[in-house]
Amino acid sequence: MFKNYIKIAWRSLKKQAFFTFLNTFGLAIGMAGALMISLYINDELSYDKMFADADRIYRIDADIKFGGAEIKAAESAPPMAGALKRDYSQVESTVRFRTLGSMYVKKVGSETSSKEDRVTYADSTFFEFFGIDLLVGNSKSALTGTNSLVLTKTAAEKYFGSTDVLGQDLLLDNSDTYTVTGVIDDMPKNSYFNEYSVFLAMAGNVGSREELWGSNNYFTFVKLIPEARVEDFQAPLQGMLERYMLPWAQKYFPGMTAESFAASGNYIRYHTIAFTDIHLHSDRSSEMNATSSMQNIYILSFIGLFLIILASVNFMNLSTAHSLKRAKEVGVRKTLGSNKMNLIFQFLTESGLIAFISLIAALLITMITLPFFNGFTGKSIAIPFSQPLFWLLLFAATILLGFFSGCYPAFFMSRFNPVKTLKGGASESVGNGRVRNALVIFQFSISVFLIVSTLVVFQQLNYIQSKDLGFTKDQVLLINEISPLGSKTNAFKEEILKMGNVENVTLSNFYPTPSWRSDTSFFQEGTKSQENAIQMQTWDVDMDYLKTLEMDVVAGRDFNKQYASDSTAIIINEATLPILNVTAQEALGMRISEEIDMENPSYYTIIGVVKDFHFKSLRENIGALGLHVENNAENMAVRLSGGDYSKSIAEIENIWNTMAPGQPFDYQFMDEAFYSTYNSEQKLSQIFFIFTILSIFIACLGLFGLAAFNAEKRTKEIGVRKVLGATVSQISYRLTVDFLKLVGVAILISLPLGWFAMNKWLEDFSYRIEIGFGVFVLAAVLAIMVAIVTVSYQSIKAAIVNPVKSLRSD
Amino acid sequence: MLLQLKNIFKWVQQGGQRVFLLKDINLEVEEGEFISIMGPSGSGKSTLLNVIGMLDTFDEGEYDFLSESVHTLKEKYRSNLYKEYIGFVFQSYHLLDDLTVEENLEMPLLYKKIKSSERKALVADMLDRFNIVGKKDLFPTQLSGGQQQLVGVARALIGKPKLILADEPTGNLNSQQSEEIMALFKKLNEEDGVTIIQVTHSEKNAEYGSRIINLLDGRKI
Repeated sequence: MFKNYIKIAWRSLKKQAFFTFLNTFGLAIGMAGALMISLYINDELSYDKMFADADRIYRIDADIKFGGAEIKAAESAPPMAGALKRDYSQVESTVRFRTLGSMYVKKVGSETSSKEDRVTYADSTFFEFFGIDLLVGNSKSALTGTNSLVLTKTAAEKYFGSTDVLGQDLLLDNSDTYTVTGVIDDMPKNSYFNEYSVFLAMAGNVGSREELWGSNNYFTFVKLIPEARVEDFQAPLQGMLERYMLPWAQKYFPGMTAESFAASGNYIRYHTIAFTDIHLHSDRSSEMNATSSMQNIYILSFIGLFLIILASVNFMNLSTAHSLKRAKEVGVRKTLGSNKMNLIFQFLTESGLIAFISLIAALLITMITLPFFNGFTGKSIAIPFSQPLFWLLLFAATILLGFFSGCYPAFFMSRFNPVKTLKGGASESVGNGRVRNALVIFQFSISVFLIVSTLVVFQQLNYIQSKDLGFTKDQVLLINEISPLGSKTNAFKEEILKMGNVENVTLSNFYPTPSWRSDTSFFQEGTKSQENAIQMQTWDVDMDYLKTLEMDVVAGRDFNKQYASDSTAIIINEATLPILNVTAQEALGMRISEEIDMENPSYYTIIGVVKDFHFKSLRENIGALGLHVENNAENMAVRLSGGDYSKSIAEIENIWNTMAPGQPFDYQFMDEAFYSTYNSEQKLSQIFFIFTILSIFIACLGLFGLAAFNAEKRTKEIGVRKVLGATVSQISYRLTVDFLKLVGVAILISLPLGWFAMNKWLEDFSYRIEIGFGVFVLAAVLAIMVAIVTVSYQSIKAAIVNPVKSLRSD
Repeated sequence: MLLQLKNIFKWVQQGGQRVFLLKDINLEVEEGEFISIMGPSGSGKSTLLNVIGMLDTFDEGEYDFLSESVHTLKEKYRSNLYKEYIGFVFQSYHLLDDLTVEENLEMPLLYKKIKSSERKALVADMLDRFNIVGKKDLFPTQLSGGQQQLVGVARALIGKPKLILADEPTGNLNSQQSEEIMALFKKLNEEDGVTIIQVTHSEKNAEYGSRIINLLDGRKI
């Protein structure tokens, strides 16, 4: 019997090629989308699970409030790891990292160096701690010597052409020579250490051995013994504050007690985060690697689910609509002795078959599109063809999908009354389609919701990109790593300034682009207690900084070469004023210092107040900031006045090559660097965009099929109307307007939902748009237009049929 | 006795009034009879046939089929009953267009859960008997009307029913094809003892039968 079902199903699908195509195509697209999202989510959830004992590894985080600034630190003080190992019996081992960002690496004796983007100091316990095997070298001793480093396979092959490189020397940033003591496999892409390629022995980092509890620079991981429970470790962790932090602080702030510290509103709260949770759950801003968030996973899951539901609903709609054609068959089968169950099984077989055909199509679509998907998500996801579990899940999901999609049509059709269907009254038995209408409304609600979401995300991104940031980010070229110029730095600057289309050049390590920065405590002149510390960032800049970045001075003046005293001058931003509790004018001439504990602290004099400019993401508020002049810049910003950028860049590179031969010339445009802050939003908007298009497309397939059905059902009515003198446009209007009503209802349902959901999303941004009325109008108009285009083809087709034809049948 | 209808009423509600499709029908059918139901359009011929075939329900009265009271049976048993004992022949043949002649014949056997080998034998017999072996792999649309109805009759017969219900079986056929089909019915009735009830407009066809029932406005006259 089952064989027979398959045979019949196959034939009827083949016969109704167009319908089968609509159904399969819709389902396949939905499945492909959901499959890709599932693979993506699976990859996101797999982070760091590949490391041995990953379930016992935790990182120490701290929430710190001190001097008006709140920091959510992912790093700890250098002695933290040792103290934890000493004080807590649950701690089996520890490892610390101190990241160095990017470095220029070259083989000793080689001319050219190349840039390694992620370099870090690591404790010698690194390999044992994470269960990482060395391809060459000794895991225990590899990172013990002061100038030893371990490379990844890719890096080793890049510099030496092989992994057999023990004892070879590398020159880092043209200054320090390191000896290779080991090679490891490349770090997995779905790991926290992704793209880290050079690991330097912590022994070479002097700061790592200092008993300095006040600076948090070391990512500190602990591995608990198997019997330990993290809760039992977490609670006593707070004891670190009184045992180590306060005694250390008392050296600088005599008389400070735990009580006075807390009374001033300050706190330090230590806690742990599971290693495998970091990627999706960490709320720290400075991480060793870009992390994602559960919110994105949820959003994606919903979109994936939406897609599958849309495709499934489509299937139901098309199948029940199509049942007009199958009504006779149902009648005949019933008279031949088929009962309801037989018919239900038959139709379920059919939907199962469609689901499997769609699965094959979906796999093909996924294989073709996955490289593009990987391209923009930066992942290397592959379809896990060799995993039985994958196939099992895939088949189970397909069968389930076939069943869910086929259920309603199967029950619906098996109910047909044979007498009526055989007499030709099929359209009666097909019913008035209330359920189908509801399904169309449902589909379009989802589509309109996604349209609204996409528009809001786009608007917010657009807002970010066009917002007045307090500086001009366009036409600024950032040249990284100019340290190879050494003493020629100023000559280089002068040379560039001579170029025709260069407006200004500034030297600094600090730009309003994403980078790692920390606050320092400042004290106003006359302050004696640490409670009144001002937490602010201080940026070392040169005299041309404000001019080059086109920042506005709201009070006082810019730096000026004519004032010798400007070497101890500082320009603060507006956000610092409330902390100082003064107006811009009052701030001028005030003196602040980092050194409260010294007898004769060195002061900075405030000479100007710069208009607030955004240097963090727009998700955050602008913090306190001071600029002062210092000559230790490793980066340069060049403001171009337009013209041919590529020509200007080539010209600058020429100058570079004469002054720093063999050194890599590394640059980027400031606006690009700026946008990288919004990578996750940008990705989200792209994902929204793609899947919105997909969902609208699927909904349209359904509407198209339904319109075809409706036109067919009303063939006779249309014929009669035409005979009575109705025009083509009157008839197509009648047929179209019915569907528009459904779309209208869908719009009414989904607009408030979209408004609500997107307001939630926007809450993450300190600076955000108001969702305007226009978004809703646009979404509604889009949906209606798409519906009209989809339906009108069928409506017009039905309306131009010669009535003689349609009235002749029975 | 094969079946008995007692005081059968069937009506529909139209504009607050009952419109009777069947009114007080009493009918006894013995095995081996060949009955023709006649009457003008709308007189209830097809409705009566559908009620006898258990495809349609009625509102009042009693219906016994082989001593089972049909009106009290659940749908499942009813479908078992007609699956076992009744074959249908339709005016417009109602063959399944997606299936070949052979597969169309096999269909009722599938629903009766007959084994594959037995099915093959029965289908082969039937093809042989109706001289359509050469057409077994063709689809209905590749056959003439007469041939399609031949397949229709063969399909009705393959389950070895006691009763064949034919709703204007020759309505779509030309006179020569009609005669062949009617002759076939006569032969089945006389040689195989199959009970036949047909609805027909044609006096000539009605004469093939042993008894004529005339209907007017849902009433037997």
